[in-house]
Amino acid sequence: MAKKNYNTIEDFLLDESFNNWSKENRLTDVDFWDEWIAYNPEKKEVVNEAKDIILGIQFKHTEPSKEKTTADWAVLENILKAKNIEKQKKQAPNYFRFIGIAASILLLVSLGMYTLTGNSTKVIYKTAFGEVLNLKLKDGSLVTLNSNSSMYYYENNNRKVWLKGEAFFEVDKKETTNAKFWVITDDLNIEVYGTSFNVDTKHEKTAVFLEEGRIWLALKNGTTKKMIPGNYLSYSAKENKVLDEKNNLNSHLKTSWKNGSIIFDELLLKYAIKKIEETYGVKAVFKDEESKYKIITGAVPITNLDICLKAIEKSVSVHIQKVNNQLIIKNRTEN
Amino acid sequence: MKNLSDEFVWKALKEGDLKAFSILYKTYHPKLYNYGLKISGNIPLTEDTLQDFFIYVYEHRENLSNLDSIAPYLFSSYRRHLLRTLKKISKIVSFDEMDVKIIDLQFTPEEILTHQESETFKDKNISILLNKLPKRQKEAIYLKYYSGLNTNDIANIMEVNYQSAANTIHKAIKNLREEVSILELLNS
Repeated sequence: MAKKNYNTIEDFLLDESFNNWSKENRLTDVDFWDEWIAYNPEKKEVVNEAKDIILGIQFKHTEPSKEKTTADWAVLENILKAKNIEKQKKQAPNYFRFIGIAASILLLVSLGMYTLTGNSTKVIYKTAFGEVLNLKLKDGSLVTLNSNSSMYYYENNNRKVWLKGEAFFEVDKKETTNAKFWVITDDLNIEVYGTSFNVDTKHEKTAVFLEEGRIWLALKNGTTKKMIPGNYLSYSAKENKVLDEKNNLNSHLKTSWKNGSIIFDELLLKYAIKKIEETYGVKAVFKDEESKYKIITGAVPITNLDICLKAIEKSVSVHIQKVNNQLIIKNRTEN
Repeated sequence: MKNLSDEFVWKALKEGDLKAFSILYKTYHPKLYNYGLKISGNIPLTEDTLQDFFIYVYEHRENLSNLDSIAPYLFSSYRRHLLRTLKKISKIVSFDEMDVKIIDLQFTPEEILTHQESETFKDKNISILLNKLPKRQKEAIYLKYYSGLNTNDIANIMEVNYQSAANTIHKAIKNLREEVSILELLNS
């Protein structure tokens, strides 16, 4: 540091050791510059000026409160939601529309397979692990099929679909005919007018989350249930019981996958990893207890495992090793 | 946006995810609110223009090119958005150097910490000295020391080149130092 020439104010400002001296950060730098100034008295003015630029002025922070920002966001969120719905309605109707999920991530699209059964063709859609498929059905309804899921219907009636796995439906209302839309799973049938909802049949049960509109569930045990927006219900035909029922669930957590990401909101890592296992078809092993109980907040992509794992590693300081289809998770100690 | 999974929030945001957008909103709303209020001095106007601005950002999210330049992008676009509104209100037709005339930040003693790190500015009535500075110097000081932006970002926001932004900051500090020494002369 002693060999440099210090002439203009920038020479000082860009010098790390000078910055340290100004902030009294490092003893060796402080000693060096105290001496340097003593030997270069003609530079005293420019040195002090540079020091004042580095130290600057300390302001009190007088921003609006967190509550104010949250309240303003609630208003804006509603406006944006309304605009999004309007936009979707305006989009040109294609027969089948595939929308790329998570820009720049390669998306493998499974094509529909056709098999002949009786008079009508059976149309089947299947997704692999780490793959999401966006479909627009003939009647205008939108379906987003999550990874490792499948769905089929008969070509003469796409308003009756059979689902295994997870999908999000935005059903177009048929004002004139009042025609219903049906989703059929192993556990229940869903009767729909115009609405949007999420169906998840993983873990030997069917979980339905209603975002908008009204739907009726016909459980396999014969009972029916009406759902209103924000309702969440899971039912298992095998156990013949309702496992979970909630009102006003935060919709982002259940349906964020359809926008290309899984959102974790202060979730324990062991639960977050479960979600990763389902999405990518991998198995995870924790090497220590500590890692399991780290808390993760943030979004990870659902179509690129490598990026997804890197994101998790960085945000909760664990080390994840991928060996074939297995993830080995270790705590990473900072030192 | 400090968390390292930002990149993925970013991607989700580009896809239109509202939860991701809310993170951006909650990070920058307070800072831009304060900046807007400093420029306009008008709470309802600041709030309206800021909400409009965020709708614009969401609808033109393809303009959000990369994560590092998000702060200067938001500050400079909001500044422009607010100035446009202010011009409309004040019915000023000439656009030349308009922002120089309009943006005139005012500081109050309550906004300045009593504890100043610099010996020079300790126990001085800094807000009065700041208000005496030329308009652009005041704005540069605000962006650097209040908003915590670097010189490069400030240059973008104030629509000047890097050297000119750096000089404005240096001159502002130089002026403040001179004012302080005049005060000390008068008081001795």
